[in-house]
Amino acid sequence: MNAVLTRYRPALILVAVLAVITLLIRTNTVWLDTSVVIAIYSLLALSVGISYGQAGILSVAQAAFASIGAYATAIVTTRYDLPALLGLLLALALPPLIAYPLARLVTRLSALSLAIATLVFGQAVDIILREGGDFTGGYIGLSGIPPLPLASGLLEYHLLAWAAVLVVTALFSNLIDSPFGRATNTLRSDSLRAVADGVNVPHVRSAILAFSASVAGLGGWLYAHHIAYIGPDSLGPSISLSVLLMAVVGGAQTVLGPIAGAALLTLLFKFIPSQEVQGMFYGGALIAVLVLSPGGLLSLRALFGRSGAAPVARSERRAANLAPPAASRAS
Amino acid sequence: MYELLEFSSRGILLGVTYGLLAFPISLLFIATDTVDLAVGAYAVLAGAVAMLVGAHINPAVGILAGIAVSVLASATIGAISLALGRRQKGDPLVLVLASFGFAIFLESVVLTLFGKDPFIRQPFAYFWNIAGMRISPQAGVNVAIGLLLVAAMYVFLYRTSWGRDVRASANNERAALLAGIPVRALQFSAFMLAGLLAGIAGVLVLYTSGMDFASGIHLTLAGFGAAIVFGLHGPMRGFFGGLAIGVVEAISSGYANGGLASLVPLVFIFAVLTLGRVGRPAQARA
Repeated sequence: MNAVLTRYRPALILVAVLAVITLLIRTNTVWLDTSVVIAIYSLLALSVGISYGQAGILSVAQAAFASIGAYATAIVTTRYDLPALLGLLLALALPPLIAYPLARLVTRLSALSLAIATLVFGQAVDIILREGGDFTGGYIGLSGIPPLPLASGLLEYHLLAWAAVLVVTALFSNLIDSPFGRATNTLRSDSLRAVADGVNVPHVRSAILAFSASVAGLGGWLYAHHIAYIGPDSLGPSISLSVLLMAVVGGAQTVLGPIAGAALLTLLFKFIPSQEVQGMFYGGALIAVLVLSPGGLLSLRALFGRSGAAPVARSERRAANLAPPAASRAS
Repeated sequence: MYELLEFSSRGILLGVTYGLLAFPISLLFIATDTVDLAVGAYAVLAGAVAMLVGAHINPAVGILAGIAVSVLASATIGAISLALGRRQKGDPLVLVLASFGFAIFLESVVLTLFGKDPFIRQPFAYFWNIAGMRISPQAGVNVAIGLLLVAAMYVFLYRTSWGRDVRASANNERAALLAGIPVRALQFSAFMLAGLLAGIAGVLVLYTSGMDFASGIHLTLAGFGAAIVFGLHGPMRGFFGGLAIGVVEAISSGYANGGLASLVPLVFIFAVLTLGRVGRPAQARA
């Protein structure tokens, strides 16, 4: 029982915070809307936490995965009048179906080439969406995406979006606590060691990216039905950057860090005067955080999820063990 | 057949600028073992500044100002790289992430200061007529500058002590440090040189096909594709890689849908990544 409580502590903390916030803002439409936006960004930031924080996969195209989810549901609901639940299935299934082979083809090499491959992928998605003609709505995008029948009011949508975040949080905690999650952590800090431990590194990396793509797709689904419009610029590269920033600011290696980062930055950036200067704030903030506090705001890791410190120390020790021949000759 | 020739010549014109962008990318990969995703953004910045200053003062001052701003921008990421290097114990991904942030930062700077309109200058009002093909004299300028820079880079990397030290520190950073090579200072100078090359490339793009504030990522990817098509470990190959990608892109945009033709460099890059020429050395050292 105690172990279960420990494992789901992040989800339980989230439930408590949500209960208070929901009571406070339940009649205020502006804040409910902000809360839905935060939930959607939380899902995208969690997808970064899963891939970058846990497995050390730098994906600069998480928004493109979300975009695929959003377009999938937009196309089936507006073009074919099919239920939004089918859109949800597609939004959950399509991104991982692309992510897994993408990663599998590239990932047996270095993490660097996978990062480049995601950039290529994001750019390709952008071009295909723009050139997709009537099917994707081209440059204009798709509007008139119907609201969800099970969450027609803003309060219901707020609850639904955060329920999705909660489910992902619980799954994420589960994942970290499983042998698979431990293998993921090992390969982040030392992929050679992971191979020696019998971990199928390409498979684990690809599967993690696929899981994170699916979470991003879920975010895209919620986005499409909330805004009722999706275009090629809605979930573009700058969104990929801002969700990376959210995860890194909050602490990419913790479970709640990405959610905290999403909440903090969404609230902060409400005060940015214009759309044009947004990139300066996001880009500048990301660099500042990387230089000044790489662990993020929630780097009090003992409180939230697993410690990231131990594996790093081990790989340093290993480096030190490997180094002596050169070092001792020098001294 | 005649069409094909004309498309190819247009492709070479485009490819020279890609090849020039491949220099900074492969130089930084050789010198620091990482990829700077903001290279295309330096080029856009250089082009935008060259356009604005060129329109108000004179084109030559504009070009110099553009290149200077580009060097300044890449020096910034060089300084960031040094600051990160002390903390992150040489994880190349952190710099990739930071440079992605910097690229979006610069895109926003260009959008705010210079607006959404495309930047393009075409000073040549006449065309050369070569075997019936109309070719802009700009093509001649691009090819000449490209070949000159290839030669200069070759001399720099393989005939000067600076180049020897850069190659040494890329090969084995620890050994280079022990041999008294100032590895950090060299890496910083490599970033400055990359900014210089990206700035020149940006000015040439401005005078060739033009660009807008959002072209940065496309230019980075085109340059990256050019750099890796024939293998990342040599700046000379990048130049010809750029020509190859440019020609294929121009031919496919001639015969197929123009927008989809910009997928071509991406397909190239993905194929090369899959075949696995990139990143092996980094993996072996990790």
